[in-house]
Amino acid sequence: MNTAPSRPAIQGSLDALPLFVPALPFAFVFGVVVAEAGIPQWLGWSSSPIIFGGAIQVTLFTLIGEGASVAAAVSAALIVGARHMLYSVTLAPKFQNQPGWFRWIGSYVLIDQVFVLSQIKPIDEPVAFRRYFLSAGFTFWALWMTCTALGVVLGPAIPPEWGVEFAAPILFISLMMAASDRRDKLAAAGLAMIITYLSAGLPNRVGILIAVISTVVVMMLLRKPRP
Amino acid sequence: MIALAIILTGIGSYTLRAFFIFALSRYTFPPLLLQALEYVAPTVMAALVISMLTTPEGALDAGIPEAVGLICAALVAKVTGNHILSLTAGMASFWLLGWLL
Repeated sequence: MNTAPSRPAIQGSLDALPLFVPALPFAFVFGVVVAEAGIPQWLGWSSSPIIFGGAIQVTLFTLIGEGASVAAAVSAALIVGARHMLYSVTLAPKFQNQPGWFRWIGSYVLIDQVFVLSQIKPIDEPVAFRRYFLSAGFTFWALWMTCTALGVVLGPAIPPEWGVEFAAPILFISLMMAASDRRDKLAAAGLAMIITYLSAGLPNRVGILIAVISTVVVMMLLRKPRP
Repeated sequence: MIALAIILTGIGSYTLRAFFIFALSRYTFPPLLLQALEYVAPTVMAALVISMLTTPEGALDAGIPEAVGLICAALVAKVTGNHILSLTAGMASFWLLGWLL
């Protein structure tokens, strides 16, 4: 399924935009967490270019706000971010026929949405893949830098009863449907939801990893040999 | 101390993303592993949805408005493939039910 767009750089940006809209309220949630942790706004914002990962940043500052030690807060944030290792494995074949600089820079923008875009739009041609990936990644990057800056300033002013943060699970279920282009993938998504719920009480959201790995193993055991 | 925590987390999260891209840059992926990796995207997204709707203690932190919002968003995403429409349908049904109930 090689659907190389004729203008991969432009297409990457265009595909990134609708996926950013639900991340906007998350930037405001981030602002609230920074304010509640009593961290200076500029210092909280500096995590956007340094870490570039919404859930990781929110986890880090939530724990710092609760008085956790640096070691505890950093390790919890990294466990929350551990799913990125799965993205790294999954995309490794696509990074094989690429120049070294792309491995360095591409890794920096490997976030949830960029990963899913690369899976929904598989591009086999290395140059087109690289342009698409970088343009989607840095479109998100520029928007996240701008919106988290707004978020630390304006976030505390958004009334919590609006429930704007519900946009995040809505985005991910929408991405889940887009990534489930076969029935077995949809079944895998359903199974992963059940296992995540059953393991939701485990510390640091480690249930995400348990659910993904065990579901993949189950799907491989159940699979029918394909021609 | 906060600056140190940010820098350490930055180095750590970059390493998580880069590790296998570099480690497997010359590895020949067997077809079985490539098939297994096809399940990563749908399952991680599914796990994130549930993770966001549960408390750190493991209790479900969602009611009927959230459930209906997610179902509407999923159906619209499946039918149209449009994430903005899906978000609109999900948030609109979530807000509407939250206001009615």
